[in-house]
Amino acid sequence: MTILNITYQGRSADYHLDLDHGTSDADIRRIAVEVVRSGGVRGLHLPNLAMSTFNTFVVDRLRSPNGEQRIYLRPKVPFGSR
Amino acid sequence: MAKRILICGVGALGSTCVMFIRNVDAELRLVDFDRVESKNLSAQWFVKQSVGKNKAEAVRLQLANFYGGKAEAITSRLEATNAAKLLEGCDLAVDCFDNADSRLVLSEACRAAQVALLHGAIAADGTVGLVRWDERFVPDREDVEGQATCEGGEHLPMIGLVGATLARTIQDFLKDGARNDYLVTLSGSVQTS
Repeated sequence: MTILNITYQGRSADYHLDLDHGTSDADIRRIAVEVVRSGGVRGLHLPNLAMSTFNTFVVDRLRSPNGEQRIYLRPKVPFGSR
Repeated sequence: MAKRILICGVGALGSTCVMFIRNVDAELRLVDFDRVESKNLSAQWFVKQSVGKNKAEAVRLQLANFYGGKAEAITSRLEATNAAKLLEGCDLAVDCFDNADSRLVLSEACRAAQVALLHGAIAADGTVGLVRWDERFVPDREDVEGQATCEGGEHLPMIGLVGATLARTIQDFLKDGARNDYLVTLSGSVQTS
């Protein structure tokens, strides 16, 4: 079981899913749109979310402090200073 | 002996982070080549009297005048040619730069000098930020060159959240060497590693 965390418009929510080995970043973005549209992500239900919404988002694959596999789908964060 | 921290970029995130670490037992070395503009006052930790001054020097003066704190200001741009010199004697570097190229130069220099490096980064729309150690950080590039940034002031709450999370992460590192990563949203921060 993998936890997919989706951050969109300042909101962030988890979704538990079974992933095949080698699931691509494009697959993750497509799955995220589907589960957000369907209402499967608690606190992040957007039935009319565009298919391209996450096209520029970054997919981070990390191991959480308690050892579980987590995938973070988030907007780019290019800025810090200017 | 007090640790020495190099803060790279003291604009929005960097100046806010410095405000929150002004009481740690560490020597601060601030580097920024840019100057304070009046538009910066809405999103960065500067006051009207700072306008026109170099940002690193302005933060140094504010620490000294408001809090009696000490810091060293470096008013030049951090580049591959001077990064090793700027990192000399440092235990930690904090990346608050606004572009991927500078972040990569700093990462390379820190790895070569074996200096711990913590990155702070924020999205253009002010909805999310990252605090992440170098071993797990890949810099994001802008979607388009010259993309609007956080300088307008409407993202100040998120800048504050990310700056505070950076400061707490620095505190934890100074205390026991912890290297925690965080994803920061308007609803709070989540530890990711």
